[in-house]
Amino acid sequence: MVDDIDRVLDTPIGDRPDPDEFVRAAMRWHFGPGTGSPFWLARARTLDFDPLTDVKVVDDLALFPNVCDELRDVRAEDLVPRGYGEHPDVCGFFESGGTTGRPKRVVVLRDWFLRSQEWISTNLDAHGVPRGVNWLTLLPSGPHMAGYAYPRLARDRGGHGFSIDMDPRWARRLVSAGRAEDARDYSGHLLEQARDLLRSQDVGLLAITPPLLERLAADDELTDLVRAKVKAVIWVGTHMDADTRDLLGGEVFPGVRLIGCFGSTMMMHSCAQRVTEDAGEVVFDPPSPYITFRVVDPDSGRPVAHGGRGQVVVNHVSRSFLLPNNLDRDEATRVPGPRGQVGDSLADVAPVQVFDGEAVVEGVY
Amino acid sequence: MGGTSGTRDVVRLDALGPAGAYRSRNVQTVNDIRGEPFAELSLVPPLFVARTMSALRRADPLPLEQRLDAIARAGRAFATETVGGLSAEDYQHAVCRVSGLPWVTTERAIEATVRYTEHAYLSAQQARPTGAVDDWRDPRTRSGSGVWVRRGDVFAVHAPGNTPSAHTLWLQSLALGYRVAVRPSSREPFSPHRWITALRDAGFGADQVALLPTDHATADEVVRGADLAMVYGDDEVVRKYSSMATVLPQGPGRSKILITKDADWTSCLDTVVSSVSAHGGAACINTTAVFVEGDPAPLAQAIAERLAALPSLPPQDPKAVLPVKPLDVARRIERHLLATAVGTVPWLGGDGIVDDLGDGTAVLRPAVHQVPGPDARQTGVELPFPCVWVAPWSPEVGVGPLRDTLALTVVTDDETLVDRLVGEPSIANVYLGDRPTHWLAPGVPHDDYLESFLMRTKACVR
Repeated sequence: MVDDIDRVLDTPIGDRPDPDEFVRAAMRWHFGPGTGSPFWLARARTLDFDPLTDVKVVDDLALFPNVCDELRDVRAEDLVPRGYGEHPDVCGFFESGGTTGRPKRVVVLRDWFLRSQEWISTNLDAHGVPRGVNWLTLLPSGPHMAGYAYPRLARDRGGHGFSIDMDPRWARRLVSAGRAEDARDYSGHLLEQARDLLRSQDVGLLAITPPLLERLAADDELTDLVRAKVKAVIWVGTHMDADTRDLLGGEVFPGVRLIGCFGSTMMMHSCAQRVTEDAGEVVFDPPSPYITFRVVDPDSGRPVAHGGRGQVVVNHVSRSFLLPNNLDRDEATRVPGPRGQVGDSLADVAPVQVFDGEAVVEGVY
Repeated sequence: MGGTSGTRDVVRLDALGPAGAYRSRNVQTVNDIRGEPFAELSLVPPLFVARTMSALRRADPLPLEQRLDAIARAGRAFATETVGGLSAEDYQHAVCRVSGLPWVTTERAIEATVRYTEHAYLSAQQARPTGAVDDWRDPRTRSGSGVWVRRGDVFAVHAPGNTPSAHTLWLQSLALGYRVAVRPSSREPFSPHRWITALRDAGFGADQVALLPTDHATADEVVRGADLAMVYGDDEVVRKYSSMATVLPQGPGRSKILITKDADWTSCLDTVVSSVSAHGGAACINTTAVFVEGDPAPLAQAIAERLAALPSLPPQDPKAVLPVKPLDVARRIERHLLATAVGTVPWLGGDGIVDDLGDGTAVLRPAVHQVPGPDARQTGVELPFPCVWVAPWSPEVGVGPLRDTLALTVVTDDETLVDRLVGEPSIANVYLGDRPTHWLAPGVPHDDYLESFLMRTKACVR
């Protein structure tokens, strides 16, 4: 029955469906009594607008309140759109890192997951990332989406995935408690496991968080192993400053492709950086209209000018899930997107210092 | 760069890493005290720190003779030559313009430089235990002896910005064969940049001495990456590192003078005034409190009269002796002083110490206050300008108020008192008679021998 309704929602990302038609179809799906999730159907009753009639174009998604905080407590099954029927193909209920308070929970259904993976893979091809190599992933596992998605990407691309358990919440808790040395020990513990795999196995691609990559690059043996074996390094999740990128790409791992992926569980995707000649620039284009960005002044909520800095607002609109108007923990420079993209692209993504009154702590994540 | 030109280029201060000068994208603008951009300091990310530290660790030290020659040569260049594009005068000008330290402090730093760098090895040798030799080949090891060895290979310094003279201290570590990384203070990065550049020009390798400017968050990486580190800072910094055996914190000096009744304070007034005001009053070896047996009022009055005569001048004026700050910073320091001074008798600066130069900056004029008793808490308040608290003292009060002191000058004939002061663990240095608290000499410890921290002895027999 999924396939019967509003087929525009099933358009491959690269085919760029008409964004406004897409958004209207998504409203019909998520707010139709037979197809929407119990969460959104109940929530619709408290909205001061009617998503079915008032949301006509992508910009109208700004009408929605940010419901993120409600995702900390909502019953997971209530997030699944009824339109998927009695036996929905749920990949998982994934959770935010917990950087900003208690974890938030989203559902990812198979159709979106596959579409997202396929798009990431297309982007990696564009970056010249080889297929058929084994991946080593040092990414948040457990309830987080990255540890689920990336090892599968290795398989989709004809290799095998070696993965290491990472609990970013524990690392963050150590840092918050002033136990920085213990947090370093934890990173060391992860890297020792990576050392073992890099020594003994064929690893052609490394997917890793920026703080761990920096630690790895300070270790002579690990650096040599990566230089000898790895063809591409994907850093995922948090930001990396331009000087560190220069060092990694220039003197630490010369000849190794270094690709940034900006993503989060709440985005239910990660966006590979734009392919450009300028090594100093890292720009992320979202797979619109499924995911769209707005860069706004956090005080007024209004868009900043192109080239200006602001906080990132993310809309996720798919058959699998609707999460509009999500004020992200990151800030970025607003840059124009490529032709055909709705909304902004992002450059120089960096964590905001304070979010919702709680200081943001960067750990291994 | 032109000394007086109004439209001069901004000075570029690169990081100095193992592959040479490094210009980062993340650049910190260093403003002069008027708030105008004066220099651009390249801040390095943690990865750069980590890679520099491992390069330093891999490098061998220069052989002894070569490194001593290089230190001496660097000292001469620092004092007299063009280094990194700045003549000595340009350098002095830059320090004064950015830090607001008066010209005299740069003169003193340059004077001290040659004295220290010519004798770096001999100075260090003063700290070697008499039971230890420098080399296992020494004949004394045949019958068993201590050998004096480094406790590590890489020494990191979080350099202070309060006086350019401070840098002569860590130079000793190079004589001992350490590889050294210095994190400059953004308040005055010129001195360490000049030192590292001069040392490299003189023969030290880029993997033997390094300059690592960092932001606050990355600063700890410099300490962590080294075997041993010396960190300058306030009481908070001292507390933070006090439990780490590999870190030597350098806190406030709280230097003091004690003059007993048998001494005639009028004959050492010059010394007292100099102790308070030399180095612009901003060094840890400047006197914070003077204790006098008997009525402190006449002494306070005399100090005030002398300090009142110091001129208010822009810092780069060759006659400048008082520190200058941006006006708002000066006002903040003034408010702090006035709040601290409640309950004391002001002899100078009681209405304020800010002398507005009209260009957005202000001179910090000296302050002299008489406190009611020897235990007044003000006697431990060290401020970065000539500011002294004059307190009454009596033999019954004893050593208590004189504790927690970097340099203590004692003018007395009472040898028993001197015994007690020399025996007091929290007083680092005791100077007797007419010696200013800022007295220093190569080979004499500044706050214990730095070598006590950097070196150890090891038994050797063959």
